[in-house]
Amino acid sequence: MSAGPGLELARCGACHSRFLPSDGPCPKCGARDVVLYSAPAVGKVLAATELLYPATGWTAPHPLILVEVSEGVRVLAIGEGPLPAAGALVEVRRDHDVYRARPEPSA
Amino acid sequence: MTVHIASVGMGRFGKRPEGLVALAAEAAQTALEGVGRKPVDLLVVGTMFSHGPHGREAFLPRLAGILGLESASGFRVDSSSGTGGMAFHVAAHALETGRFERALVVGAEKMTDRSTAENTKDLSASLHMSEVAAGATMPGLAAIVAARYLERYHLTTSLCDVSTVHARAMAAANPNAHFQKPVTLEEVAASKPVALPLRLLHCSAISDGATAVVLEKGAGPATVLGLGQGFDALRIVDREDLTSFAATRVAAKRAYEDAHLTRKEVNVIELHDAFSPFSMITFEDLGMCGPGEALEWFEKGWVGLNGRLPVNPSGGVVGRGHPVAASGLAEIAEVALQLRGEAGAHAVGTPPRVGLAQTISGIGSHNFVTILGREAR
Repeated sequence: MSAGPGLELARCGACHSRFLPSDGPCPKCGARDVVLYSAPAVGKVLAATELLYPATGWTAPHPLILVEVSEGVRVLAIGEGPLPAAGALVEVRRDHDVYRARPEPSA
Repeated sequence: MTVHIASVGMGRFGKRPEGLVALAAEAAQTALEGVGRKPVDLLVVGTMFSHGPHGREAFLPRLAGILGLESASGFRVDSSSGTGGMAFHVAAHALETGRFERALVVGAEKMTDRSTAENTKDLSASLHMSEVAAGATMPGLAAIVAARYLERYHLTTSLCDVSTVHARAMAAANPNAHFQKPVTLEEVAASKPVALPLRLLHCSAISDGATAVVLEKGAGPATVLGLGQGFDALRIVDREDLTSFAATRVAAKRAYEDAHLTRKEVNVIELHDAFSPFSMITFEDLGMCGPGEALEWFEKGWVGLNGRLPVNPSGGVVGRGHPVAASGLAEIAEVALQLRGEAGAHAVGTPPRVGLAQTISGIGSHNFVTILGREAR
């Protein structure tokens, strides 16, 4: 099932856990009965850092942000704009194979 | 079937001119000499990096040939920074079946001939590919873990500084440690940022080195009492908690059960502080104090050589250096040295009867706990 607008998340049909979509089964129970759904794209920053010695192919400082979106689902995103503090609201979007987070426009 | 560590071989960790096979052979020869070169019928080796100019290719048969162990059964394992712990557990379980008499276990790594960027990239192989795609590295994710821990318990980055000062003080007494000089809180706090809250001196150093042990059937002064391992989600966003490593908690529970003892009977701990806050998190995960309480143990010196419960008398990963596949075995070897009364200047004040080694793979995706004792149970 494809998701609508917003951030695409996954729900396990067996244990009802919510999680970030992946190619694999439910990370909690291993079931493959996974349904995608659309959730609000705004989340709260749990932690943020800037990598000053990033891996090859990235430019320093490389911002990494751990964000909690709806129903406790977490996303590791590349930051855009000033590095947010823990607790700040950010807007998360998927960009091909990665997620990006920027300050929430209305914040 | 009871098994014990009959001897330990370990060279100096740090920047070494030798290649991987020579480092491994040095540690292995010392361990073999420690048992009078008695026959070995099992060889288990571990190394993480598998390509390069130092003979990493065909590591196992090359080492077997140098050591004259072509008649032994051989296995090579890899669990990133937990490789040494995994190699030991594989060998111990194999001996416990009764099929083998004596095992040589070797963990070795050659890293200083590679650039920091190359090491960072290859170490990231122990992380989930979707998080690596976002530019995550080991220090990057460790910084996220540290930030969550500090925030949850309303602590400051001085916690990381305290842990590093402890590690470097311990390492200064260990002639095989990468770092031979203690550091002050001010020096740690002034070291350059890597991924805040982590600074350079909060991070383990890229090192060369090898560790070897000989495991034999029967009891001895470093008898294997308990083995445990645990997994956690590879993708950190799938974890229940980032201020604790579930894989350590599971591994510790299994090891305590296997050993038929409780954490109160442990007299010395060697744990895997790849990043300095991990020492606090792991101390708590092993059940030695409550969540968020480890800092007090380190600040008050209760984890020093003469403290209530010595932690990382070798200097730990931050002080001893981190040739990744050697570290897990070095942790177990250190506990064996302490129990056997062979730790020299870094011996803990009160001779221990039970010691515990803990090893982390990656950012806690597959962890190992090993409990050794001076007497079999």
